[in-house]
Amino acid sequence: MNLFRSQQFKQPVQEDTYVPSTCSLCYGTCSILAHRVDGVVVKIEGNPDSAIGKGRLCGKGVSGIMTHYDPHRLRYPMRRTNPKKGLNEDPGWKRISWKEALDEIVDVLRKLRADDPRKLVVQRTTTVTASRVPFHAFASAFGTPNFSVSGGGQHCGNGAHLISGIMHASWSIVPDFEYCNYAIFFGASKGHSAGHASCSNMAKAADARVRGMKMVVVDPMSNFASAKATEWVPLRVGTDAALALGMCNVMVNELGVYDGPYLQAKTNAPYLIGPDKLYVRHAESKKPLVWDGRTNTARPYDEVPAADAVLEGEFAVDGVLCRPAFDRLRLHLRKFTPAWAEENSGVPAATVRRLAQEFADEARIGSTIVVEGVTLPYRPVAAIAFRGAQGHKNSVYNFYAIDLLNHLVGAADVVGGCLGFNPTSHGHPETGKVRYIPSAGPDGLMVVGCWMGYHYPYPPSEPRLPKNLGLQDLFVMGMTSPFLDSTDREAMWEKFEVPYRPEVMLNFGSNLLMSIANKDAVAASLAKYKFIISFDVFLTETSNFVDIILPDCDYLQSLDARSNFPFIFSLPGGLGEWCWPIRQPTLPPDGEQRQFAEVLLELADRVGIRADLNAAYNAWLDLQPPYRLVGDQNYSYQQICDAELKNNFGSERGLDWFKENGLIKWKKKPEEVYWRPFVDVRVPIYWEFLKPIGEKIAAIAEPRGFKIPLEYYEPLPDFLPCRSHCCEKEGFDFYGFYYRDSVHTNSFTMENPWLDEVAQLDPFSYAIAMNRSEATKRGFNDGQLVFVESESGRKVKGRLKLTEGIHPEGLGFAAMCGHWTDGQPIAKGKGVFYNDLLDLDWEHVSPININLDLCVKVRVMPAENVPSDVGR
Amino acid sequence: MSVRWDAVVDRAAADICETPSPLPRSVSRQNAGRIEVHLQLFGALAWMSAERFIRLELATTATIADVLAIVGERLGDGFLAQVLDESGSKRRHCRLFVGGYPVEDLQTPLSATIDPSDIDIILLIAPEGG
Repeated sequence: MNLFRSQQFKQPVQEDTYVPSTCSLCYGTCSILAHRVDGVVVKIEGNPDSAIGKGRLCGKGVSGIMTHYDPHRLRYPMRRTNPKKGLNEDPGWKRISWKEALDEIVDVLRKLRADDPRKLVVQRTTTVTASRVPFHAFASAFGTPNFSVSGGGQHCGNGAHLISGIMHASWSIVPDFEYCNYAIFFGASKGHSAGHASCSNMAKAADARVRGMKMVVVDPMSNFASAKATEWVPLRVGTDAALALGMCNVMVNELGVYDGPYLQAKTNAPYLIGPDKLYVRHAESKKPLVWDGRTNTARPYDEVPAADAVLEGEFAVDGVLCRPAFDRLRLHLRKFTPAWAEENSGVPAATVRRLAQEFADEARIGSTIVVEGVTLPYRPVAAIAFRGAQGHKNSVYNFYAIDLLNHLVGAADVVGGCLGFNPTSHGHPETGKVRYIPSAGPDGLMVVGCWMGYHYPYPPSEPRLPKNLGLQDLFVMGMTSPFLDSTDREAMWEKFEVPYRPEVMLNFGSNLLMSIANKDAVAASLAKYKFIISFDVFLTETSNFVDIILPDCDYLQSLDARSNFPFIFSLPGGLGEWCWPIRQPTLPPDGEQRQFAEVLLELADRVGIRADLNAAYNAWLDLQPPYRLVGDQNYSYQQICDAELKNNFGSERGLDWFKENGLIKWKKKPEEVYWRPFVDVRVPIYWEFLKPIGEKIAAIAEPRGFKIPLEYYEPLPDFLPCRSHCCEKEGFDFYGFYYRDSVHTNSFTMENPWLDEVAQLDPFSYAIAMNRSEATKRGFNDGQLVFVESESGRKVKGRLKLTEGIHPEGLGFAAMCGHWTDGQPIAKGKGVFYNDLLDLDWEHVSPININLDLCVKVRVMPAENVPSDVGR
Repeated sequence: MSVRWDAVVDRAAADICETPSPLPRSVSRQNAGRIEVHLQLFGALAWMSAERFIRLELATTATIADVLAIVGERLGDGFLAQVLDESGSKRRHCRLFVGGYPVEDLQTPLSATIDPSDIDIILLIAPEGG
């Protein structure tokens, strides 16, 4: 009877379809199939046809449906009515029409551009990777150099990316999971959490572990990666360089293990270094010299067969005593004894020795393997690092020291070794696009073939008085800058004679108040803007400072032609397939939502910069005839996407073809994946170029009363302590740090009820992790409510979770919790806002790559007389 | 330690070309005498320059560097400082297109391009994070 009734009254299904598209719950941007029934998405799953995820989708990805249908999504433009801006000021939102919103914005932008376009700051989130080109293009067309990426900037791979670019021609590094037998992860979660090619890497890492790959995780906390590791090595927060340098010393000076032929042919190890720490150069060609062991003379590096280039010894060239760079490194490493490494990192000397021995043994130096008929060098070991290791004042040397482990044994972009994400592409077999290959730059050192922006890792730009607010023109090793928001930003701009100040911000999805550092510093910065425009899907804490909110489409309602390009960013590394998916709307906009990319086109038209925007798109997308955008014609974003796809894959494969097929893919060749032996480029194991950069920066800064600590610009890596390591205040005996909870992305997914439920089931997500023994010594209990106070007096409150899985000196926080906005009621009041402990000024950033130091020395105090449910 | 990297791989068979040139070459414009060039500036360059559309007449032997030198004389050092670095090389975030194709080497002669009559120059954003 019931069956009869349900059949009788149920409407027949009109539509039941799967739409191939791309996730955007994190910047991993995995390929998805959105299952739509009668206009409603009922499930999101991985797309098995795609190389990006191969049908797998993480907990965030499948939960996207709840973000999309969240009743708190923004549906119409709003304008603040309260002119006062502050953390606790109610903006007094008033619904307005798109016409009203854009009329006002156009008026503001027109006046600003007539005055000085540099006063516009464009700010975006990395979570929507495909927002990069539309916002870069708009900023380029408008004429501002001021572009920033909060969250993804200071709290992601600000140091890692540049060094990965210098050493691997890629944005990030990952073990060659198919062939690697021994991988050491330093503060990295590749294959075990969110991030670049996350779902693909999870499968690859799992398969590797099943195959028997030994995985050692060096981390203050045993959580996402460590839980699946063969071995967890707890270390003191921020001391990764100490351990890595200790291991390098053992390998080179105790075991005598290194890949001589690799160092001779593929690095600057044989380049002769003079007493001034610089290359000894040929008098006329100025090329670096090497010592030719066959002729016993010094000759330019490119005139000596690699096998004859000497790596060790002291030589006289025109009366100047010099040594090969490798010999310099060998001598430099001697001071990093295992005992010294133990003293600084807390890792026992015996463990340092054992890890070095294991890494050296497993490297199988000198071996080869045949992959798909191609004989290749085989080095099945990898040392990788990411946010945890490089998120410190010693950012550069931490990462450099770790990557040296790979280069000492030749395990760089060869079978089984440490791979960049797709540094070499020969292009689609039919069109040859997109093709890029690293090339030899100044002094024979590698220049990337593809990069995310135009601030290339090598050769670094010449330091100059900055024209941009982030000061990257001066601090040329820096990427995302803290100086747009730091408490000393005005002093820095004044000191370095920046001739204008920011007045208007165009924000896309960034919750700056939570994703940079302490909220008071960022709030003070935001309050200075005369006008802020923000594209958002929810109200955030930052919305309190916004003048006009524009309701954006989410990823299920949006179109993008390049959701996974550049390949160096989020296409899986290693063998497999090249894959170019698109993102396409599965659902229409709700209410008055509009996709940001279309709105930017309308703004460009009305501000009068459409020709500039077309030219910018041509440049960013490398559009070539006949697909270039012409003059000031009013192209829609669909037309621009169509042009890009045809430009890359031929006239028959435009947007319609991709909407039908979802993606295009083709096989990777072993020569592309394991490109290093085929490309005649070298990488620096001795960073000679740092010294002159430091001196040039100092020459600009010091006459202005600004001291540059040149120890950060030495050519060889060292362990330089964070401020937290130097804190001697009584009672401040924990190193606060945060980790990325695998179910959450930045702060964005905290509002998702399914992910919130998962986080509530996880005893750590909304708590503060403390070592159980240390807690017992201090009289703290599991679940106790405490205050955590930084050295500078900043406080957060949360509940303790005691565990053996954390370094005794560490205090671990899941990142980006602690929302307080009413616009996200699911997220509000959950967990602890760690970033509120972080100071934001020159004293707390790396003096070389201006990366914010993310660890802080803290003391923990009971929060007495506080109701037990507060902070839950 | 004994296996040499150079000996392991067959580079010739690997389809590796470290300096691919996307620039289609013209063979028909040799000895054409003079070329009329329309140069257009975009973005920050257009905002800061007195002119954004510049018409030049140049010898076919002229290079892109020659074009920039002439434009620099008209628009001043401020323009050149944005486009060229201290060594006289084109800044990486300055994109220059001749006939719609990107040109990186400033010594490229106009006669070597498929359509030298249109030159576009734009400054892009250099830094990127994530």
